[in-house]
Amino acid sequence: MSFPLLFLVSIAAGFVGAMSGMGGGVVLIPALTLFGMDIKHAIAISIVSVIATSSGSASAYVRDRITNLKIGMFLEMFTILGALVGAAITIVSSSQPLYLIFGVVLLASWLALFLQRHEGWRPVAHQDGLSHWLELEGSYHDQAIDQTIHYRGARAYFGGPLMFGAGLIAGLLGIGAGALKVLIHDLVMGLPPKVSTTTSNLIIGVTALAGTSVYLAAGFIDPGLAAPVILGIVIGAFIGTRTLVRLTNQTVRLFFLVVLGVLGVEMLLRGLGVHL
Amino acid sequence: MSKIGPMALHQEAQASRFPQFDMEVLVGYILLIGVLISMGLIALGMAWRWVNTGALEFDYTIAGMNFFEFVWSDLQQVFAGAFRPRLLVNLGIAALMLTPYVRVLASMVYFAVAERNWKYTLFTAFVFTVLTYSLFLR
Repeated sequence: MSFPLLFLVSIAAGFVGAMSGMGGGVVLIPALTLFGMDIKHAIAISIVSVIATSSGSASAYVRDRITNLKIGMFLEMFTILGALVGAAITIVSSSQPLYLIFGVVLLASWLALFLQRHEGWRPVAHQDGLSHWLELEGSYHDQAIDQTIHYRGARAYFGGPLMFGAGLIAGLLGIGAGALKVLIHDLVMGLPPKVSTTTSNLIIGVTALAGTSVYLAAGFIDPGLAAPVILGIVIGAFIGTRTLVRLTNQTVRLFFLVVLGVLGVEMLLRGLGVHL
Repeated sequence: MSKIGPMALHQEAQASRFPQFDMEVLVGYILLIGVLISMGLIALGMAWRWVNTGALEFDYTIAGMNFFEFVWSDLQQVFAGAFRPRLLVNLGIAALMLTPYVRVLASMVYFAVAERNWKYTLFTAFVFTVLTYSLFLR
């Protein structure tokens, strides 16, 4: 792949990833493979760039005091182990199953995003003993309604092991797997939406680092290819987030969701051995 | 309850937001500074390469090195003053990988020293140990 093309694809991936809320990697990897890059190298490069996008946005959320650092650090224990296992599997795996799993995960998170629930968040009524012992609670100031929201997390015994799975997917496919993490925070642990998205963001950076270390050790990370991708995806995500603030048009969101749906189907078909 | 209650509370929270140094400030700025340094180094390396050769492509791989060996070989070049575009790009990637790593280390120290929360010192120590192990992989 030529340099300008690589750079432009990365900017586009960062932009679409931020606009759609899916994250850059999920767009970058299908795009790179479409241009002929081997899927394992695309995964390895993507996971390095995930460290950059996640750390960049996490820094703002943490300073705004929405991220719950304790919940994040508790769950990281599980995601990093998952990421190490996932990345190790990818290295020994053949390409076909990776396409297949990527397609399934992309379409599943696409569906989760498409069918985004609009019901309000309900505080956890009863916190179990383990979650209480783990101090899984906090509060944040919601600027939209000018109120301080207090919350408690629950079912840590279930959330932890599930986060191992989310980390495994992240390491396996070189993505942040944010949609999956948010789902676990929301549905299993009962965290408010803003806390679950921002805390997932914090976890993604460390999880991606664990995955990156495995790909680096296996010689899959080529700095010459990684450099333009990292820079491009961060620039794209930056523009995308800025645009998102001004633009809440549902039609635009829908357009990007359609693009992502097509990419998911394309990956799935390649996994099944069908070439369009 | 009058409107003054929550307002005053909010102002209090606002006032205490800045002078207070806590884990949020520490972690937030580590992440911000790490990403900025990394992006700056990569952009500078690429720009330098382009000015020198008119090309932006780098063609080399990191092989047979773990992360710490990679960082050490780059630092040796820095000490030797052997700056070149490739070195800046390498340092940028190393800075990027060090960002979450340093964040975990700083959180561990903060939990231990400032909060004396042994439970979370242990949790972050576990994360730090696993990451250190994985960065030693080759």
